[in-house]
Amino acid sequence: MHYIANRLLSVAFTLLLISLITFLVTNILPGDVAMVIMGTQSNPEALAGLRESLGLNDPLIAQYGRWITGILTGDWGRSLVFKEAIGPLIADKVVASALIVVMSMCIALAAAIPLGIWAAVHRDKWQDNAASTTALFGVSLPDFFWGIMLILLFARYLGWLPSSGFVHPADDFVAAVRHAFLPSLALGLGLMAHLTRMTRSTMSSILSQEFIRVARAKGLTERTVIWRYALANAIGPVMTVAGLQVGYLFGSIIVIESLFNFTGMGWLTYQALLNRDIPLIQSTVFVIAAVVMLTNLVVDLLYAAVDPRIKLP
Amino acid sequence: MTKPIVEIQGLRVSFGGTPAVKDVSFAIQPGETVCVVGESGSGKSVTSLSLMRLVEFGGGDILDGRLLLERADGPLDLATAGAATMQDIRGNEIGMIFQEPMTSLNPVFTIERQLTDGLRMHEPLSAAQARTRALDLLREVRIPEPERRLRQYPHELSGGMRQRVVIAIAMACRPRLLIADEPTTALDVTIQAEILALINRLKRETGMAVMFITHDMAVVAQIADRVVVMYQGDVVETGTAAEIFATPKAEYTRALLAAVPRLGEMRGKPAPEPLRLVGDTHDPVPLTPRDTPEPLLEVRNLTTRFPVKGGILRRTVAQVHAVEDVSFTVNKGETLSLVGESGCGKSSCGRSILRLVEPVSGSVYLGGENVLAQTKRDMRAMRRHMQMIFQDPFASLNPYMRLQAQLTEPMQNYGLDNRADRAAALFDRVGLPRSFMRRFPHELSGGQRQRIAIARALAVSPGLIVADEAVSALDVSVQAQVLNLMMELQADLGLSYLFISHDMAVVERVSHHVAVMYLGRIVEIGPRAAVFENPHHPYTQALLQAVPIADPARRKLDTDVSFKPIPSPIHPLDHRPAPSVYDTVGPGHRVIQNSDYA
Repeated sequence: MHYIANRLLSVAFTLLLISLITFLVTNILPGDVAMVIMGTQSNPEALAGLRESLGLNDPLIAQYGRWITGILTGDWGRSLVFKEAIGPLIADKVVASALIVVMSMCIALAAAIPLGIWAAVHRDKWQDNAASTTALFGVSLPDFFWGIMLILLFARYLGWLPSSGFVHPADDFVAAVRHAFLPSLALGLGLMAHLTRMTRSTMSSILSQEFIRVARAKGLTERTVIWRYALANAIGPVMTVAGLQVGYLFGSIIVIESLFNFTGMGWLTYQALLNRDIPLIQSTVFVIAAVVMLTNLVVDLLYAAVDPRIKLP
Repeated sequence: MTKPIVEIQGLRVSFGGTPAVKDVSFAIQPGETVCVVGESGSGKSVTSLSLMRLVEFGGGDILDGRLLLERADGPLDLATAGAATMQDIRGNEIGMIFQEPMTSLNPVFTIERQLTDGLRMHEPLSAAQARTRALDLLREVRIPEPERRLRQYPHELSGGMRQRVVIAIAMACRPRLLIADEPTTALDVTIQAEILALINRLKRETGMAVMFITHDMAVVAQIADRVVVMYQGDVVETGTAAEIFATPKAEYTRALLAAVPRLGEMRGKPAPEPLRLVGDTHDPVPLTPRDTPEPLLEVRNLTTRFPVKGGILRRTVAQVHAVEDVSFTVNKGETLSLVGESGCGKSSCGRSILRLVEPVSGSVYLGGENVLAQTKRDMRAMRRHMQMIFQDPFASLNPYMRLQAQLTEPMQNYGLDNRADRAAALFDRVGLPRSFMRRFPHELSGGQRQRIAIARALAVSPGLIVADEAVSALDVSVQAQVLNLMMELQADLGLSYLFISHDMAVVERVSHHVAVMYLGRIVEIGPRAAVFENPHHPYTQALLQAVPIADPARRKLDTDVSFKPIPSPIHPLDHRPAPSVYDTVGPGHRVIQNSDYA
């Protein structure tokens, strides 16, 4: 418990630092919120008035104080583009992105673990080469290429799945999964490649350890030896890498969500950047950082749960 | 004559086309211990793995031969048995234990699960019945508090205890044959003695046969009924233990036995003496004892502690008391050995002297100059006079550098001239052909690499060489050659060695003086003859009692032995250990008054 409290404290501290950096960077860039609202052709007096009323003439530290207090009290400000309160706007998009992040992670793990194990068990044989080549193929091509291919194949020619849009899972779960499937698959393919290689190398080093020989010498079946004795040891490292990949996924969803017109955090961030919606940029960056850090905290806790050697201090 | 339980006939095994076992035949009778002995690459482990048909998981192929296992319905050839049959035999009729107790158990499963899953595989037992059996097994291998152990994970057990668990697992289904593949090689000598006695007792009580794989002739002498000597994939000699040791017939067996240092054989000799190896044309020249000892290295009250970090801020929460108030003197042209079990602080002591780790307090004088008072710059100059040889010759050589460059680099560091000539002379000195100068480390054998490591240490003509387990990783015949080389260099160049080792027999061979370390302190120090022939401290006595002797006439494992486990050297920050106080029991022979050895 003590450990979790400590970790949460350090996550909070890091987030504070991130908020400060994003706030400063978005403020140092030329042009400000007033300029974005009024446009470049506006008259200087109106602009000055707006600046005054938005508090943009206050010292930076005061502006930051106002903003961070808002974040902490639930008032995230209003988006300039969407003309909505940022809080509820982001809440919906987080659900959308969580859906494809979780789905792509499931797809990637479901494929990568068996493939990696298969490669490790048949190390240096054709099976190993086949798996490594597949993985290399997956990782060499960018996500959006897979996205386009999947749209062409499953939406255009086969007509099995919708190619764009987002349905909230609370409204219609099946439709939500169907809409999220292709973007998840596109993300999952790149991810799967990384995880396959990780599973392969972890498993092959575990399979060469002495306790595997001892397990075989006991007369256990190969299935038990590989899927219980070896995998129980491999799952921790694979999970850790998968957790780190969540950060990478939040980078990839900017492209993928836009490609599939899937209105999640990636799409929202892109819109915010495109329209210089400064309050929205600050909030999305903040939320994404928080999600990635919390995911990794959860992964670390899970690692401790599967490996008795890790003791939470 | 009874039927053998296992008969190996004409076994041939290869790994990807490289033959590992060429033509091996021998039999094991019920209830006897057969030791298969040989150096690395002899094919002894491959033979045992073939018998279990585990060799194919490592990429080996059984090309030819029969592996006959006697069963109720007649002999079964394991070489051609199906996977299901083999699964039924493994762990049930044949049990196996391996070398590394630290990695022999699955780190993420409890001891109970690992003990019972094999049992339940072979016998229809409920979870509760299996648990009862597991408890019985743990009692049988003499593990204290068996109920608690069942719930524990491997990392919570010591190395010796883990090896007992592995033995319990192998014994679970009362196998008729136990294969033990170097089961004590990775263990300290006291724990080795315990495990050997345990295997001996289990064999006596259950009547099972034991196939014992080892490289250690002393262990063979202690445990074997019959011996199979292997060399490069072939059996070169078989016979009873008494025959093999008294009248070895094969040339290789004789060479092997000649290379083994035997505890006690230096009795009555005034100075270290090279081993007499087969093929030596002249008698070994003993190192002449010096009349007037002249100190080179003086260590006074040396103390080294390592911090144990903890908490979110990684503060120091405790300390490992690695070296605690240690004092000794190494004379010019002489060898002082630091001997002790793993974790006793002998390596940390050697490293502290060279300031590879910084001691907390104490003083180290080399040729009258205080090593610990040197600035960084002066320390660099000082290291020229003290060099180090490490245990793993492969890990201590740069794999990307040619051997010549590895020798000239230290010379360059200290601005020496004629480097190429000096390097060539060093190659001659350590007995390597000059043609090797253009080679890389991976093109050498283990013994050749260690010669290079010695040559590198000699490159800057130091007075002191700290040899940290310098021969421990080498095969026994190579070990003997390297030891002889080291003694020859000492005689010719007047070198002083601080020889750090766990091997009492080797230490007896090479040392002028011996210091026995326990929990960071020297518990007994003195001239070699005094410490070995008249040990005063109970720990020294226990160590000497535990060392197996390469002589089947001097067995000491007929009863269970048990030594005191070594306590933890980790203490809280406010721990203030008392200074070491010694009694003088003879000329230069001192014994500690206040050790933690209770």
